[in-house]
Amino acid sequence: MSRATLGLIVLGWVGFALLPWYGFDRNASLEFSDYVIGGSALAHGLRGAWWLLPVLAPLLMALRPVIFPSSSNGTWLAASGFVGLALIILEGFSIGLNGWTLDALKSFVSDPGPSQTGVGYGAALTSASFLIILCHGLAARGWCRGDAFVTSSIGVVIALIVVFVFFPVSTILASAFADNSGNFAPSEFIVKFLDRSIWGLDCLWGDLRCGVAWNTLFLGLLVGVGTTALGLAFALIATRTDFRFKKVLRVMSVLPIITPPFVIGLALILIFGRSGALSAVLWEWFGVPRSRWIYGLPGVFIAQLLAFTPIAFLVLIGVVQGISPTLEEASQTLRAKSWTTFWTVTLPLMRPGLANAFLLGFVESLADFGNPLVLGGNYEVLSTKIFFAVVGAQQDQGRAAVLSIILLAFTLGAFWLQHAWLGKKVYTTVTGKGDAGIPLPLPRRVALASYFTAVPWAVFTLGVYAIILVGAFVRSMGRDYTLTLEHFLTAFRVESTGAGLYFSGSAWDSFFATMKVAALSAPLTAAIGLLTAYLLTRQRFSGQRAFEFGTLLSFAIPGTVVGVSYILAFNVPPIEITGTGFILVMCFVFRNMPVGVRSGIATLSQIDKSLDEASLTLGARSATTMRRVVLPLLRPAIVASLVYSFVRAMTAVSAVIFLVTAEYNMATTYIVGRVEAGEFGLAIAYSTVLIVVMLFAIVAIQLAVGERRLGRRSASAAPSPVAVQAIP
Amino acid sequence: MKLKRNFVAATMLAGTMAALSFMSAGAAQAQGALVMYCGVQEEWCRAMTTAFERETGIKVSMTRKSAGEVFAQIKAEAANPRADIWWGGTGDPHMQAAEEGLTLEYKSPKMGELQDWAVRQWEQSKNRTVGIYSGALGFGYNTELAKSNNIGEPKCWADLLKAELKDEVQVADPNSSGTAYTLLATIVQLMGEDKGFEYLKALHKNINQYTKSGAAPAKAMALGETTAGIAFMHDIVTMVVDKAPVKVVAPCEGTGYEIGSMSIIKGAKNLENAQKFYDWALTADAQKIGAEAKSYQVPSNKSTPVPPQAPKLSDIKLITFDFAKYGSSEERKRLLSKWDNEVKNLPK
Amino acid sequence: MNQATSISTLARPTAFKKPAASVEFRNVTKRYGAVTAVDSVSFTIPPGQLVTLLGPSGCGKTTTLRMIAGLEMASSGQILIGGRDVTNLSAADRDVSMVFQSYALFPHMSVLENVAYGPSVQGVPKKDAYGMAMEKLELIGLKGLEKRAPSELSGGQQQRVAVARALVLEPQVLLFDEPLSNLDAKLRRRVREDIRELQQSLNLTVAYVTHDQEEALAVSDHIIVMSNARIAQTGAPRELYEEPANLFVADFIGDANIISGELVSVAGPTAQVRIGNVSLQLPHRGASQGAVKLAVRPDAILLDEGTASTGALAGAVRKASYLGTQVEYDVESSIGDLFVVQFGRKEPVAPGTPVAISFVTNRGVAIIPDA
Ligand SMILES: Nc1ncnc2c1ncn2[C@@H]1O[C@H](COP(=O)(O)OP(=O)(O)O)[C@@H](O)[C@H]1O
Ligand SMILES: [Mg+2]
Repeated sequence: MSRATLGLIVLGWVGFALLPWYGFDRNASLEFSDYVIGGSALAHGLRGAWWLLPVLAPLLMALRPVIFPSSSNGTWLAASGFVGLALIILEGFSIGLNGWTLDALKSFVSDPGPSQTGVGYGAALTSASFLIILCHGLAARGWCRGDAFVTSSIGVVIALIVVFVFFPVSTILASAFADNSGNFAPSEFIVKFLDRSIWGLDCLWGDLRCGVAWNTLFLGLLVGVGTTALGLAFALIATRTDFRFKKVLRVMSVLPIITPPFVIGLALILIFGRSGALSAVLWEWFGVPRSRWIYGLPGVFIAQLLAFTPIAFLVLIGVVQGISPTLEEASQTLRAKSWTTFWTVTLPLMRPGLANAFLLGFVESLADFGNPLVLGGNYEVLSTKIFFAVVGAQQDQGRAAVLSIILLAFTLGAFWLQHAWLGKKVYTTVTGKGDAGIPLPLPRRVALASYFTAVPWAVFTLGVYAIILVGAFVRSMGRDYTLTLEHFLTAFRVESTGAGLYFSGSAWDSFFATMKVAALSAPLTAAIGLLTAYLLTRQRFSGQRAFEFGTLLSFAIPGTVVGVSYILAFNVPPIEITGTGFILVMCFVFRNMPVGVRSGIATLSQIDKSLDEASLTLGARSATTMRRVVLPLLRPAIVASLVYSFVRAMTAVSAVIFLVTAEYNMATTYIVGRVEAGEFGLAIAYSTVLIVVMLFAIVAIQLAVGERRLGRRSASAAPSPVAVQAIP
Repeated sequence: MKLKRNFVAATMLAGTMAALSFMSAGAAQAQGALVMYCGVQEEWCRAMTTAFERETGIKVSMTRKSAGEVFAQIKAEAANPRADIWWGGTGDPHMQAAEEGLTLEYKSPKMGELQDWAVRQWEQSKNRTVGIYSGALGFGYNTELAKSNNIGEPKCWADLLKAELKDEVQVADPNSSGTAYTLLATIVQLMGEDKGFEYLKALHKNINQYTKSGAAPAKAMALGETTAGIAFMHDIVTMVVDKAPVKVVAPCEGTGYEIGSMSIIKGAKNLENAQKFYDWALTADAQKIGAEAKSYQVPSNKSTPVPPQAPKLSDIKLITFDFAKYGSSEERKRLLSKWDNEVKNLPK
Repeated sequence: MNQATSISTLARPTAFKKPAASVEFRNVTKRYGAVTAVDSVSFTIPPGQLVTLLGPSGCGKTTTLRMIAGLEMASSGQILIGGRDVTNLSAADRDVSMVFQSYALFPHMSVLENVAYGPSVQGVPKKDAYGMAMEKLELIGLKGLEKRAPSELSGGQQQRVAVARALVLEPQVLLFDEPLSNLDAKLRRRVREDIRELQQSLNLTVAYVTHDQEEALAVSDHIIVMSNARIAQTGAPRELYEEPANLFVADFIGDANIISGELVSVAGPTAQVRIGNVSLQLPHRGASQGAVKLAVRPDAILLDEGTASTGALAGAVRKASYLGTQVEYDVESSIGDLFVVQFGRKEPVAPGTPVAISFVTNRGVAIIPDA
């Protein structure tokens, strides 16, 4: 029996017998004894909550291997964990706030039954212990090469995904098959599903519009290809050229993700709109008539390109760096021209990166809501349709669910295509054999192409940000260019009073709450995302593909639907966490995790598996291997997922609209409120502050994580960079 | 090495503590003795909250959302309601919540002080929601663009059909916006259903964009993105007050209006305080706050001073709006799908 | 569940010298879905011996090795190391080190950091770990290169770093997966001798995978020949060469002429076998009367110029190749074409010359029992 297993059993008991089993009644005043023993399951159980007592049985079962160690320890542990979990789940879901939750039970027992509130620390701790005991037991029986860390990781990640993705999402998707009063009605689904506004193809042969599904798909494909191409251009310039303004380019390329939604759209209107700056110039100087071309597909496309290129860049830069120079050299020694080498060796080796970047761009575009809202014009996409099906005049949750299913199907399709395209080929380029190659300079053609796409784009981004910056400091963008600090003062006034500083600006509350949530969710997201990537690439277990798709699920569903589903799922026992900051954190973690997973997978598939195995045979456990071998080689992916999740927690809107409370109001809902009220200046000023904060955060993350050392030979004759610090 | 490990452990501990403090945060939140969902502009919401706190000492936890969002949230939370009162936001979702039994009946002692339309809505909703303000539908135009495009001064709904305004009118999509649905219902009531749809089809030729949000046309006018826009007049007034070159028009044929409402949520944990707020929010003193917060709707308490910027109700020809009929979900679904099929999908 | 004990022994690797351990497979099977990579394999590697897993590509050698390491889990059967059942133990909990075919040197660490990795993850203070690493680097002759990155070493040097890294924990069992396949022919011979010397001087149990029969014959105490996921034969190099158990082994190890003959009678341990008009006395190896196949090594055939007398077969040289230390012939005969190697004859027999063919029965001619 390992010490870790023993510790878990102790924790299981602590959760059952010491800590409060239930969450607290929100209006009660609490005594110390409520926290210890008094509120525990044991105490409740002895005081009449009889349904808690059976949990004692598996807890006792877990003790057997401690007292009589034998070769069947694993079986005992696994059984104890399984029974414990099952009992808690059964008990939690069958008894709710108002008695029995199942009608069958109600009619069977005939009285309304006992009631209980949501789980608290005790129940959470005990369930978690049972889960991990189960995993330890399975490891002891030889699952996953007997590695308890791996089984536990798989168990925990699956449990989290089930609780925070499958459970809420299935509650809402079920409503696709229900009529308005909640009865099962599959025919309703068919009718809604086959609606002409979804699948119509009238635009091909008339001047009518096409169905919203085609619009969405088309936009998604465009954006996926566009962001991947741009991201690749940026990544190639950043890693393979000595372009002088590389650093600037890098900053430019990540700026857009740190921009709150609506702001890019707004800036685009201020530039390209009918009264926009550029349109004015074109009209006055060249007589180009003003038009509204920006509203519709072009505008949404440009805005999404701006917004999602950074993600592609972040995924691709690690991949481009990881390509083994030797492979390229090998190709060159085979008389391939540098262009041919690039085309036949370098590019194909980037496939995992390209595929993952495309998948992310595509899915992001599908789920994006802010940009189509502002710039969509008459070009309708699923995400806005879904949003207004929930909150619009129709109030048709079933319709939202049907549309979400279509969106999900697209994601599933993209995911499947990606798998098919990558196939079973091997993309390992970071191997345990020292790579003596020297990275090739880019072929001229590629370099030029990269410059010609990336540089104008960077300049354009710069323009957009100049507009944003100006917007923050003038009274009213587009009308009144008097310089002013008024917006900042309204939002971020700080008064010094006798008792110290008083943050009287109207934005401070949401600002602090947002910082708190973002700072908490970013490391969690990165950790869970990379762990998942590791499990998916390095371990083999059944149901792996379904598991992988599960991680994409919450990402692919529009935020509005996720938000509503979180309320439906988590507003009632057993898991009652609405109104807390915790639900916001979890929502962000599971919405943003896919970026960590994708970039992790892209990077890991380049790293030779035998590096991990070498570490294992040298006596390092999986956890140690992870820390000392995998993570240092994964640095680009870590940066990508940390940055992305931090930033997303600060800029996401739609998912949180339903989850914010008075206490946990988020910056973006505040900004959206300002935009709705027409106070663009204030919105932009707040966004500027957020952008600055996020820039600092990104720099800090980059510094904290550091660069990856691949020990590649460099073209210059300088001694190895590693040599300097080999010996302390 | 050792140090580093301690550091890591300390960070993890701190992280866990923070996470734990998060989980119980809900407890603190609900200590506040009134939880309110607010459906108007942030500034107005805040001003109301502070004023009520100052007056009664009851702490208010306020969350601002659009009316549709609040309705969706209340519906989702029905099994275990979180909020006590829903104040503000257009009346339709309030009516719908009443229809679905998500809100409570209540008769305030202040009912006598209210305008007729407010009382009528209260009766139509079977005492579940009450009007707190109203705003008339209208349109506006950007004076600079109107001059350069030689459009003149549109005064009536009919003027919006002028050929000069081709691609120059903006209005929201009634599927997503209550404002636009109000327009749909208004036109149908004003002209009759057949004529009304003829009008909307004609108008369709001049529409450059059906926006998602109801107030968006007002903003687009202010920015010069469209010449004319249909919205609630108070939303356009906000732009005018912000010095945008925009003029508000009360259509000569008459127009419909919305009633901003208030409801007590069924299952409210702080019912008594919710009722206290309900009574207070109907007083003239409380309703005065709107104008101070730059919202120019017409208050429902007869003795509330009407803000000078607000469009004078006396200058506006209001129709008798049948909220019960046009607020019911059946009629709404019928009209919306008719609009979808007959108007929206029309080629231009 | 004796993980705890194994950790505590590992934590003091330098404190005492562990005895070498045996490795035992009991009916071990490994399946990947429908593919059976290793099929009910049983063998024992005695402590302190170098045993080679030999076989053609895809026969399951690597899988077997990885099951010893704990990198794959057996689908069924039992694995014991040093008498302890490790079937369900993870790689990190087995006292086994492995040298990978690709070396698997950590690219983000220097040579020294690579070698010191093992002890340092076991909790040995950094200084001591570096000390242990330096000791092994010295042993392996890489002193002075410890600060380099793996990419800055030649292939042979990298290979030796990989060996040093595997040795540093002084594991009970050391595993090599085709360690020489990335080296040139000269280096290959030297390194394999180094490995053998190291194994003997440190008294290590080594399992060594290769598909090269010459390499296997040169370094092993014992060879396990695998074919199609099963063991074809185990034995000392000489046993395998001289007494192949089946056609596969006969063919795979060294060159062999497979000749049909007839077992006439069995007397005690020997049998009388007739090949054409020649009769030989050979160990019967369990074969019974009737047709048998014989493996005849090319150097066990003698050629004499001139026509055949009794006790010899008639044949004719078709082709002769002069290779310095030996001459190779293709010979036509009544029992089929034969491949013959003759050492020490300076003057090759010219093609077309008739020859008398006889056999050296005391080595290189054997009945193949399973044929
Ligand atoms: N992960 C795997 N999945 C499926 N089949 C595998 C896997 N690993 C090995 N195999 C199959 O098992 C057989 C034995 O492989 P291996 O042990 O690597 O052979 P070798 O003797 O060349 O080292 C091969 O047929 C191989 O295709
Ligand atoms: Mg192999």
